[in-house]
Amino acid sequence: MPKSIPVDPQAFQQAGELAFPRVPLHAYARPFAEELQARGVKQMTDILRHMMLVREFETMLGAIKATGNYAGVSYVYKGPAHLSLGQEGAAVGAALALEPADHIFGSHRSHGEFIAKGLSAIARLSGSALSQIMQTHRDGALLRMVEKHLPPTPATGTAENFLLLGLLAEIFMKADGFNGGMGGSMHAFFTPFGAYPNNAIVGASAGIATGAALRKKLAGEASIAVSMSGDGSTGCGPVFEAMNFAAMAQYKTLWTDARKGGLPVLFFFSNNFYAMGGQTIGETMGWDRLSRIGAAVNAQALHAETVDGTNPLAVADAMARKRALLLDGQGPALLDVECYRSGGHSTTDANAYRTKEELALWEAHDPIAKFAAQLIAAGVMDQAAVDAMTANVALSIAAVTRAAVNATAPIDVAADPALIGRLMFSHAEIPAPSGAVRLLAPVETSARIRQDAKKARFGIGADGQKLSAMRAITYRDGLFEAILHHMIHDGRLIAYGEECREWGGAFGVYRGLSDILPYERLFNSPISEAAIVATAVGHALEGGRTLIELMYGDFIGRAGDEIFNQMAKWQAMSAGILKLPVVLRCSVGSKYGAQHSQDWTALVAHIPGLKVLYPATPYDAKGLMASALSSEDPVVFFESQRLYDMVETFRPEGVPSEYYRIPMGEPDVKREGRHATVLTIGPSLYPALSAAQELEESHGLSLEVIDARSLVPFNYDPVIRSIEKTGHLMVVTEASERGSFAMTLASNLTRFAFGHLKSAPRVLGSPNWIVPGAEMETSYFPQAGDIIEIVTSQFHPGKHSNRRGIRNWDDRDLARNGL
Amino acid sequence: MSTDVVMPQLGNEITEAQIDNWSKSPGDKVEKGEMLLTITTPKLTMEIEAPVSGTLREIRVAADEIASVGDVLAVIDEA
Repeated sequence: MPKSIPVDPQAFQQAGELAFPRVPLHAYARPFAEELQARGVKQMTDILRHMMLVREFETMLGAIKATGNYAGVSYVYKGPAHLSLGQEGAAVGAALALEPADHIFGSHRSHGEFIAKGLSAIARLSGSALSQIMQTHRDGALLRMVEKHLPPTPATGTAENFLLLGLLAEIFMKADGFNGGMGGSMHAFFTPFGAYPNNAIVGASAGIATGAALRKKLAGEASIAVSMSGDGSTGCGPVFEAMNFAAMAQYKTLWTDARKGGLPVLFFFSNNFYAMGGQTIGETMGWDRLSRIGAAVNAQALHAETVDGTNPLAVADAMARKRALLLDGQGPALLDVECYRSGGHSTTDANAYRTKEELALWEAHDPIAKFAAQLIAAGVMDQAAVDAMTANVALSIAAVTRAAVNATAPIDVAADPALIGRLMFSHAEIPAPSGAVRLLAPVETSARIRQDAKKARFGIGADGQKLSAMRAITYRDGLFEAILHHMIHDGRLIAYGEECREWGGAFGVYRGLSDILPYERLFNSPISEAAIVATAVGHALEGGRTLIELMYGDFIGRAGDEIFNQMAKWQAMSAGILKLPVVLRCSVGSKYGAQHSQDWTALVAHIPGLKVLYPATPYDAKGLMASALSSEDPVVFFESQRLYDMVETFRPEGVPSEYYRIPMGEPDVKREGRHATVLTIGPSLYPALSAAQELEESHGLSLEVIDARSLVPFNYDPVIRSIEKTGHLMVVTEASERGSFAMTLASNLTRFAFGHLKSAPRVLGSPNWIVPGAEMETSYFPQAGDIIEIVTSQFHPGKHSNRRGIRNWDDRDLARNGL
Repeated sequence: MSTDVVMPQLGNEITEAQIDNWSKSPGDKVEKGEMLLTITTPKLTMEIEAPVSGTLREIRVAADEIASVGDVLAVIDEA
């Protein structure tokens, strides 16, 4: 279906000028008395107290980190302490305008935002809701600890102590922390209070919050997602990708009416004027005011505003207005919240990059002192009451610190060495989807589906000849059938990537889906690989399921952080509390040379936390895709472009038309043999089979060919059994040999089956140089002749035949030269 | 004079395509550039336009059938 928005040259060739919206700077001017009247004494004094709690908590952490002592409590804390001293007005002001169901995604400097959001949620949740949350979190373990060690006082309730102890125990990496001690200072989260994960990677929350907003929109929730990062993050490409993704016009033009409108995401920049030691205005950025960048994104300039972050009321006012805009479908929005970090970036910051004079100037803008003075001037409190509040807050933080140090349990890794390993994956799967979801048209109306229905399920015809891709179910069709089943039976699942809709993906896997799925469940994304993956993570963290594609696996580099640090890490960093049902499809190219033909399975297999699949047959493609889409763990799914038209040649019963799953991690014996084991990854299966056929016919040697199918996880047992029979092992991959996953397989199999090997195992991969153009590809990717050469010269030298192929180089000499 | 409507070469690896549907029937007037039929390869669906104006004389490959590159799909009697 072509686009419904015509591109009219007449409209575009009109002379004129672009106008930009005016961006308000510090426009807040409401008299304090009005705020006092509107908010009441309780909320106004709570604002002061919350800022004090944030400051004292961080003062405590700074003292513990620097001196090992706070208020008589000694502790050696080895982790990071990125404090936001001086920025409390921004954190507390932001939280003041948020509901518990609004979710914040913080940065490496977000203790303050976390505490403020938690306090805000506690103030808004009913007592019974709070009890329920505390009793169900880790079966009430943290609550029991709070009740035992932190009895409530008139000033400090149980929920507040629960929040502070859960966070501090987490910062100390204790088992009782909110993340079970697996996250720490920069990764803390507690979703029941709307505090989604902080993030140690600068700007990483922008894309994740955008994905969260996507899920909120699709689920019809009346709440927003807030990306919290610093001014330095505006130098990060992924932040701009996220803002553009959040501002895509299609939400307002192409999505169905019920889901029309902008994404409810707010990009909240705590602008403290320094990115560690780099000064953003005047040194490392081009902008003069951060809010200017909104104009780069859309005609509304993201409704950007610069507000005074030293005044919590100014921040709360702006937040409330932006929140209303977002709930009205006018998102996304941007807030530049100017504040000042009076403390160092970390405890090792010597302040070499700023002057004493500048620090002194900002002292007059300290949010706590300023707000306290306003309350005193308004007659709400006197100095003695402020001092008493300060003292009580310090007592409260001291009690929490004592409890965190003395009562919370460390993680005993020695007693359970594989404990952390078990948190990498849940290995959980959803049941086969069977629900009914709203479709644009009945499935049978899709020409693609009718076409596939007429195809043979097995790829070999009655005459013994292989059928064409038009006449039998292919690898592409197998993928499609599994995806179709999940898409039409599970409304939580959405799919997107570059040209996924009308084009059906660059290789036509989704072709036909646009006939039956509404825009919001299958859409074209911008060419923003980082945003594609980051939003998928956010969408999944919020309860969605996400199928994304990068078109070429070579574009993994464009989404490095998002795949390696976000998609891979959040399950374990949350001690398994968070689930990440994301399937990332990456096709491995061919013919387009060095930047479009690389097998990068080893890159993702190297990163703990990702499951990695690479099927080679239509039957396996369908069954493994069904497993990937059912998985609660993140999966990187590799597909070979050379195999999309491949028909099923192994299973005479063909590819079942009904839904089925193939368990991840099980290699499959594709051809039995006695004289050598050839373990293949991806499309290397086919040259291995050709070699097996030829060796059988010409040399009387039979190869056992095993298709790995899955890299992570991987069950070694079938391969070990094969080696016990054959005594020889070759692992074939199209990846460059050095550092490849084939090397890992060969190394482990050597260890596991050493006693049964009669010769040194051999890895046959591609050489350690660029993938050449299509004309030279057969000199690069392993061919049947290369396999025959190794079997007959190294495994069974008695059977040696004439040298084959051109790989007659000296591996040690090449290595010496870096090849 | 008549002109053949031929299955185009859509890429060097594509040898066959399926006729999805015909927009015209034998006897219909067609204008050059008017959509005549849609075809589908394993990877994409595309429209084929009338190469000349005239009358569609015959359809040689019916909808849902598979044709090879170079096959004559239809014949148009030129106006």
